[in-house]
Amino acid sequence: MQLAALLPIRPVTYLGQVLISAAAGAAGRWRFRAKDLGQIVADCSARAVPIVTVVNILVGAILAFVGAVQLIKFGAGIYVADGVAIAVSREMAAIITAVVMAGRTGAAFAAEIATMQANEEVDALEVLGIDPVDFLVLPRVLALLLMMPLLFIYACVTGLFGGMMVAAGMLNVSAVAYVDRVGDALSWAHLGLGLSKSIVFGALIGLVGCYCGLYAKRNAAGVGVATTSAVVVSIVGIIVLDAVFAVCANALDI
Amino acid sequence: MPLLSVDQLEMRFGERLIQTGVSFQVEKGTIFAIMGGSGCGKSTLLKHMVGLLPPAAGSVSYNGVDYWQCAQAQQAQLRAGFGMLFQSAALWSSMTLLENVCLPLEQHTTLDEAQRDRRAREALEWVALDEFADYFPSDLSGGMKKRAGLARAIAAQPPLLFLDEPSAGLDPISSKRLDDLVLEIRERTGAAVVFVSHELPSLFSIADDGIFLDADSKHPIAHGSPRALRDSADHPTVRAFLRREEPPQSRLANTL
Repeated sequence: MQLAALLPIRPVTYLGQVLISAAAGAAGRWRFRAKDLGQIVADCSARAVPIVTVVNILVGAILAFVGAVQLIKFGAGIYVADGVAIAVSREMAAIITAVVMAGRTGAAFAAEIATMQANEEVDALEVLGIDPVDFLVLPRVLALLLMMPLLFIYACVTGLFGGMMVAAGMLNVSAVAYVDRVGDALSWAHLGLGLSKSIVFGALIGLVGCYCGLYAKRNAAGVGVATTSAVVVSIVGIIVLDAVFAVCANALDI
Repeated sequence: MPLLSVDQLEMRFGERLIQTGVSFQVEKGTIFAIMGGSGCGKSTLLKHMVGLLPPAAGSVSYNGVDYWQCAQAQQAQLRAGFGMLFQSAALWSSMTLLENVCLPLEQHTTLDEAQRDRRAREALEWVALDEFADYFPSDLSGGMKKRAGLARAIAAQPPLLFLDEPSAGLDPISSKRLDDLVLEIRERTGAAVVFVSHELPSLFSIADDGIFLDADSKHPIAHGSPRALRDSADHPTVRAFLRREEPPQSRLANTL
């Protein structure tokens, strides 16, 4: 069997279209409206902050709690800060933020574009000679690419804050001592790895959400299926990509 | 040379044949109706003509240029020559009416922002929606959405308009108003109009010419103005459809 026959044609074609559109955009031929990009950026940044805050504080607190239960046995409670800092910066901030964004923003992209498909709004763009990838997909992917790294940094801060609350409450570790240990434990390699993941996850969520919307069936059930698929595929994709990152980081000794 | 020429078009849905041998021409300033019962392929034919769906065979030519044989760049140029009103109006829900009408102008003209804004407001005024320029489509009634869709289609003043069931789902007064608007647009701009409809009052009041697609035989069975076909069509299905009678071989008639 030829290799070409094994390739899923539609996703590969879609990815190619996005890359061509992005290349044209990079050459200064953006076709979407700046106003739309601004609205999408606001939606996947400022409006996502409350939920990102809550979830990451709790994850940081849970990590600290689990670490504290074990470390306290050895009188090494202060090292809970190291554990939280490394786990949050390398893994949890990027993954948890990506899962939250897949559930809220990826699903919203899929539902919005699938509804546009059902209402012939996508057809109306095509009749006008506007490529839906240029007009609908690119601003969404770009918005997530821009905002996910910022959300990652914010998630690191909130996760560390969650850990600090547990460390202070359970272990009587002072804030200064906690921050001092975090400073020692954190490295640019950890942060760089987490930041890289957040960018890749952002691209994945944007691409999957828009793909599920663009190829949705043109009815109400199609919108539901598109939304569910966007969330499920994004979350599975995030876990798979994280595993790939883990293998690569191990091979590169990061 | 005709503005639009459809030649031996064959339409399929997967392997299933919908229509074959569809040929007709639309001249400048003509209002051309695509008629036929539900499911005979009227809207699919429209999709072939506006570049949304390639036909299984045959050609669609604008001023002699075959759309489906063109390079993408030339297809984009040809698309600038027509506007379309969708059955659901298909207004972009995240944009105001003014933005909806401005987008075709951004795409197909070299007007600056102030000129685009003025032209879009004129188009909205034409369909009596100038007061609603800053409204979103979700704030409008069905008839208003259709009129806004029409304003969007005519904003760039294309020589050819496609209307997919423009008066479907509207009350008789709104439907009549829309028909009058189509006639007024033709009069003021000289644009040709191709419209899909099975609303008999609209067909008789505005169409000059037309084609009747038959779902059973899967090819066009009549060609001419709806009024003439109503009065003297040879085919009993066409006469029955246009006179709102039960066709002689109707499966529905046999079961009732």
